[in-house]
Amino acid sequence: MTQRNHAQSISTKKIIQMSDIWTSYDLGVFALRGVNVSIDRGTNYAIVGQSGSGKSTLLKLINGMMIPNRGTIKVDYTLPDMKEKRFRKMLHTIGYIPQNLGLVKNSTVLENVLLGALPRLGIIQSMLKKFPKDEVAEAKKILGLVGLAGKEGRKAYMLSGGEKRRVAIARALMQKPMILLADEIVSELDSVTAHEIMDLVADAQRRFNLTAIMVHHDMKLALEYANRVAVIQDGQKILEIGVEGDTIVDFQTGDMSTEEIMEMYTGDSKK
Amino acid sequence: MTPKSNLLIGVIVVLLVISSYNVDANPADFIQGLPNLGIIMDEVLLVEPDLVPTALLSMFETIQMAFIGTIMGVVIALPLSLLAARNLNSRYVYAPVRALLAAIRTFPSILWAILFVIMVGLGPFAGVLAIIMYTVGFVAKLQYDVIETIDSDPMDAVGSIGVSKWQLIRYVVIPESASHLLGQLLYMFDYNIRQTSILGLVGAGGIGFYIITYIKFFEYGKAAVFMLVVLATVLVVDWASISIRDRYIVKSQHGVGAK
Repeated sequence: MTQRNHAQSISTKKIIQMSDIWTSYDLGVFALRGVNVSIDRGTNYAIVGQSGSGKSTLLKLINGMMIPNRGTIKVDYTLPDMKEKRFRKMLHTIGYIPQNLGLVKNSTVLENVLLGALPRLGIIQSMLKKFPKDEVAEAKKILGLVGLAGKEGRKAYMLSGGEKRRVAIARALMQKPMILLADEIVSELDSVTAHEIMDLVADAQRRFNLTAIMVHHDMKLALEYANRVAVIQDGQKILEIGVEGDTIVDFQTGDMSTEEIMEMYTGDSKK
Repeated sequence: MTPKSNLLIGVIVVLLVISSYNVDANPADFIQGLPNLGIIMDEVLLVEPDLVPTALLSMFETIQMAFIGTIMGVVIALPLSLLAARNLNSRYVYAPVRALLAAIRTFPSILWAILFVIMVGLGPFAGVLAIIMYTVGFVAKLQYDVIETIDSDPMDAVGSIGVSKWQLIRYVVIPESASHLLGQLLYMFDYNIRQTSILGLVGAGGIGFYIITYIKFFEYGKAAVFMLVVLATVLVVDWASISIRDRYIVKSQHGVGAK
């Protein structure tokens, strides 16, 4: 697939570096246990795992919504910590689509997309809801790109599941992102719509040369689109598969064979 | 029935008897007094149609008082509700604001009216101020309850971009809580018209002033004209607010519920 070759040729600079990450929501119960992840700039990276495996936590570590109890993370060589001024600024360029998308239901499609431009707006402009003309034009352009031209004025709650996801993607693209994080963005969709949405993300990833890090339930879908797939189980990374050219390279940790793991994560994925 | 709940019922019955004795609440008196109601009814039936224009005019004044009180009250309540919401502020901000709002709510509007009559003198302005205070205490509470139950997903998604708190309020909190606001506004207006109708009892303007004056002089027929106007107005406003609510609010909430 073309995007794979493309991503390979860009740069090998690491955009995400995590080493020996331990996190816990409650004291003593660890969501992640000693995870190492390193992601190249411009990669389409997939994280696959069952619910409760800790895969969503990985995304929240990248945009600073969670802080690890142990271990180090660098996002573009910066510590993801809200106290760091450089990171707060970088956050503007990290698009995050949570599992429930987080659209403002009573606002229109256009208003939702413009939210991505908020960090670029002055305080007075934003209190008056006065978006500069070029930002509005940009938002409309992106809406055309995600296939929602002509639906700018619809309220978000009136949209279908697929359309809502397109809005969430458009909002993230409006941030002019360097990294796109998406948490199970297609898990509730039928296969056709899921592929449409994944195509859209892959297209945007190539067009804007961004690093996409997506959490999935479905191994097949992940393998279809990603350059690299990591499998998380019980808070540990048990497998990482890279597709380089046509050969699958695996960087496996743990006891199970690659085949066994693949079997496990493709078996229950039909939804 | 457990022995515990039997005991509880027993205690309530005993308290009921004791309290009734203390306040002289005697069912026999009520039955003896029934013929007096007949006398009043006879008087009431002597409705004086000449007074209808005055009654309508004073009702109009009452509605205007309620209108100003409701709008100004809601305008003041909104920023307070943002400050009182636990999901938007630290304890040091929301705790004092909540305490203030609770203090405002402890006074019924008629007590506020007495206070403002002393402050600004007799007349409708005191009544308007009383309605504002009551509305602030009530709407701010309803609204901060709504804000605290807003879906956290859009807050997380937009918040994670690194926007300021004021931007989050402007673009997520207000749109997501606004649909409830119209309902509260209608409810409050409806309720305030009824409240304002009695504020005249303490000289704070409105139609209540006529009612209490005629009753004091035993002119039940004249008082009845004013009371019937209040009744008719309340029915009309009730009907209007229900139909507005059905039309605008129920519809939008259906949409929100659908996935």
